[in-house]
Amino acid sequence: MSEAGQKRDRRTARQRLFEAPSIDRMAPVSGFLVYAALVLWTLVVLFPIYWILITSFKTAIDVNRGPVYLPWIDFTPSLNAWNDLLIIDFGDTVKAYTNSLIISTTSTLLCITIGTMAAYALARFNYRPKFGNIFAFAIILIAAVATIALFKVDWRVTSATAAGLFFLFIRAAGRRMKGTVGNGDILFWMISQRILPPVVVVVPIYLMFQSVSLLDTQLALTLTYCVANLPIVVWLMHDFFATIPLDMEESAQIDGATRFAIFWDIVLPLTKNGLVATALLILIFSWNEYLLALFLSTSKAQTMPILVAAMNAGDRGILWWTMCVVIIVMIVPVVLLTLFLQRFIAKGLLLGAVKG
Amino acid sequence: MTVELERVAKSFGPVKVLHELDLAARNGEFLVLLGASGSGKTTALRMIAGLESVSSGRILIAGRDVTNVLPKNRDVAMVFQSYALYPHKTVFENIGYPLKVRGLRNNELTARVKEVADQVQLGSFLERYPRQLSGGQRQRVALARAMVRRPVAFLMDEPLSNLDAKLRGHMRAELKHMQHRLGTTTIYVTHDQIEAMTLAHRIALLEEGKLQQLDTPAQIYNDPANLFVAQFIGSPPMNMVRGELMEGIFKTRGKDIETAIKQSRKKAVLGVRPEDCSISGTENGRFRASIYATELIGDHVLVTVKAGEDMLTIKASKNFNAATEAVIGVDFPQDRLFLFDEETGVRLK
Amino acid sequence: MTSDGFHTAAKPGLIAPAEAIATTGRARLSDWFDRNSSQIFIWPAILIILVFSIFPTIASAILAVSRIKLMGGSYNIRFVWLQNFKKQFFGSEQFHFLGTFTGISAVGWLVILIAALATAWWLFTYLRRNATVIGLAGRLVTAFTGMGIVALYSATLLSGNQFGTLGTTLFYVIAGCSVQFLIGLGLALLCTQPIRGRSFFRVVFFVPLMITPIGVGYAFRMIADTTKGPLSPLWIWMGLGNFAWAADPWAARIFIAVGESWQWIPFVFVVLLAALENVPRDYIEAAHLDGASRWQIFRDITWPQIAPVAASVMLIRMIEAFKIVDLPNIMTAGGPGISTESMTLHAFFSWRALDLGQSAAVAYLLLFVTVVLCSSFFNLVILKRMRVA
Repeated sequence: MSEAGQKRDRRTARQRLFEAPSIDRMAPVSGFLVYAALVLWTLVVLFPIYWILITSFKTAIDVNRGPVYLPWIDFTPSLNAWNDLLIIDFGDTVKAYTNSLIISTTSTLLCITIGTMAAYALARFNYRPKFGNIFAFAIILIAAVATIALFKVDWRVTSATAAGLFFLFIRAAGRRMKGTVGNGDILFWMISQRILPPVVVVVPIYLMFQSVSLLDTQLALTLTYCVANLPIVVWLMHDFFATIPLDMEESAQIDGATRFAIFWDIVLPLTKNGLVATALLILIFSWNEYLLALFLSTSKAQTMPILVAAMNAGDRGILWWTMCVVIIVMIVPVVLLTLFLQRFIAKGLLLGAVKG
Repeated sequence: MTVELERVAKSFGPVKVLHELDLAARNGEFLVLLGASGSGKTTALRMIAGLESVSSGRILIAGRDVTNVLPKNRDVAMVFQSYALYPHKTVFENIGYPLKVRGLRNNELTARVKEVADQVQLGSFLERYPRQLSGGQRQRVALARAMVRRPVAFLMDEPLSNLDAKLRGHMRAELKHMQHRLGTTTIYVTHDQIEAMTLAHRIALLEEGKLQQLDTPAQIYNDPANLFVAQFIGSPPMNMVRGELMEGIFKTRGKDIETAIKQSRKKAVLGVRPEDCSISGTENGRFRASIYATELIGDHVLVTVKAGEDMLTIKASKNFNAATEAVIGVDFPQDRLFLFDEETGVRLK
Repeated sequence: MTSDGFHTAAKPGLIAPAEAIATTGRARLSDWFDRNSSQIFIWPAILIILVFSIFPTIASAILAVSRIKLMGGSYNIRFVWLQNFKKQFFGSEQFHFLGTFTGISAVGWLVILIAALATAWWLFTYLRRNATVIGLAGRLVTAFTGMGIVALYSATLLSGNQFGTLGTTLFYVIAGCSVQFLIGLGLALLCTQPIRGRSFFRVVFFVPLMITPIGVGYAFRMIADTTKGPLSPLWIWMGLGNFAWAADPWAARIFIAVGESWQWIPFVFVVLLAALENVPRDYIEAAHLDGASRWQIFRDITWPQIAPVAASVMLIRMIEAFKIVDLPNIMTAGGPGISTESMTLHAFFSWRALDLGQSAAVAYLLLFVTVVLCSSFFNLVILKRMRVA
């Protein structure tokens, strides 16, 4: 009998079941419990998705006769729902789908561009705006908005007057003010915009787009989504930029690169993982966005979430099978993209999240 | 090409890191800025590169005032302590980057990168990434990236300090050879006096933002301008003994040492290099000390002796042998003694 | 060792003439961009935030104190001071926003009393330390909001009355976030145990984040269905076969919170897992050698290490949870009655009824509650930890 065997023999049955043999292994009983919990949660996670999937292959009869679970055993899978959606309702779905694709990709691109630039600037340059100027700007802005809204003064006249007043103020008093705010304050201001519930701003945004006849257009949603997600980009990317050694950028600067070349050639490639992960996150947020689209799109620029939500109230009741097809069609690109970019996410987002 | 600093000063708020520095590197010169950390040497270099703004004064490169010129338009190249290689670019792309951003076309770029890479023996590593290279190779990539543009001046910020001791000696020789061959004006920052002594045509020694001495290594070693320079240069450092100078006679602890400097100071410091002292018998009138430790270096023995509070290091022949605590006499050659005013640090001549 | 001379004779051809200094128009433009890059990089973000965030926030404040009538392309606006807010708190919208009140039960009074005492004690202990004016003002706002919330629940929940959209939103935030935190942390801890197949579970647990919230809403609506849903045998076995969950306020609220949690547990899980894996191994191994139990190791070593991350991730979840709208709208459309209606949905319904002033007022109340609770959480939990550390 080997020495190890003898050692094992000396442990009682209770010890063998409940005590871990070493730090990096688990005792059989606790190991079983951990597995049981993990498998249970796996079921919780996968079951709703499984249900959506099989419902999309059911007919109206299968759905209405109570629960059936297993294709080919409980019920015969049919492509009816897929057929309905892809052949009969094809036009509406495709329109919403293209809208969603265009709006989410362009707003992500725009958001990433503007957001990374601001995040980089805040990580590299020093800003010392005067507190007094900002305060004056806020007061003048509030006064101007109130004037336009309550006294119906033409907005062009008011804006021009307000701008004039502000510049006069800077000229007259700007130099005398001492108190300044720093990069940290600007960063906090940008990130804190995310706290703002979209419902607070969406009505004025609606009125703004209405006044320039941009309601129910892809552009309106693109811009609005971009602003809504900007804080996330600034927050995540600022952390990544702050960790890049300054030497590399200084070296490039001396070697003749412009600031934009440095940003494009050196800084962005170095933060590739974080950038891709952030972009994916923003893309998913824009893809799934519901409230802003509810306000700002009615038909022309209708996005997928609105289309799916509207299937709630049909004259034939809810067509669960068709609905499930649409949901799957909505999920598939996200899943594919996530799988495709998994490498970046693991490296990028997790690191950022921990640091954050 | 020349690099000139005219009364250049730098302060961060109330803190002055550089006091009106006047410095000029001649064409083709290898000028070393030497100093401890915080002496302002790196700030001075970064100001020449344009990475740091100038509080007052002017900087001229090749006769042109570049004080307010962007770094990219100053036509200098810099090698950083960390090498600052771009990890996502190959060696080829790293070396070629300065040319690429200046819009050089493909063929010429390739040719010039290859030429420079061959000069630094990197010809067969062009497709590798920096992480696949050894420390010495990375250093050579950084060097090649500086050379490829043929700038009017090289700026080097402690480029050898990240290498291990053996490689550092080797790279030092290579660097010197390369600079000699290219003949490009080089300003080199280091805190390592050996590097400064071996590489420089002239050394500018800085301390607390002030230029202490600007001269050739030999002059700095043999003719230090003040106490600080004397103490900073030399390894092991110059021995210092405190005492009083009276008409050329240096008095310390009842011993008189005759010097060639016929001056008087209440508080003076006598300096003598370890290799200029010698050990002798303990006859009357001699400076006496007891042996504290002896260290065999190889070709010589360093003997540390103690005389009262003062410790002296003496370079003795490799055959020297004496018991610790033994009392010996020390001889100071009259013509190799340095004398300084203790309060101002000024050299007495 | 060194020579006094230096080499003036450069090899011909090796030194090219100095590169052109910015003389051409294009070079000058590029120099201008370089010198002003600090402004060019940051202004797009500032401008877009000013136009689409700051300006609308101000405009919304004006809407909230006005009565607006939309007329075709134009609108008619009248300044009504705080009437919109008065209506929410005391007027015809009180039932909708706060709830219905018939008097406070004994239990309610008891809870209010205990909360009041606790708050007073908390402020008292703060005053005895080195209190500042700003610190005190912030704590007073926190205390009043907190007391208000306690009073609201005491007067509705504990007194047998219905609460309004404020209570519902807070329920989603408090219940949802706690559930997400507990389960997320539990799963993260399970996934750091030394077992096989950890990476499989990690990938699977991430999946709900990829499902569109609309899809989650519909999926949970199907699952909650007691007659045709997949769990109907279970419901029938429990004697709930004829139970219409969508008609029961609490069942509906809980189902929405469950759906929301199912979607967001992965987020908490992923972040906490990363934090757990960042805890240095040697701390834990040293504790093992010292004979600490698993619980002791968690309490004394792991938890202090991951607490900052945990606090941050919960703050993020709180901020997002206050905005909840899609699940209540999809699953119940706010029903039965108003019992699952969140404040965002409330504002949306007011807007749909063309009552823009009310809509803006509700939105502003949401903003107020969000800012007070989130900044209290930030100041009292996260900053306190940072100060201690």
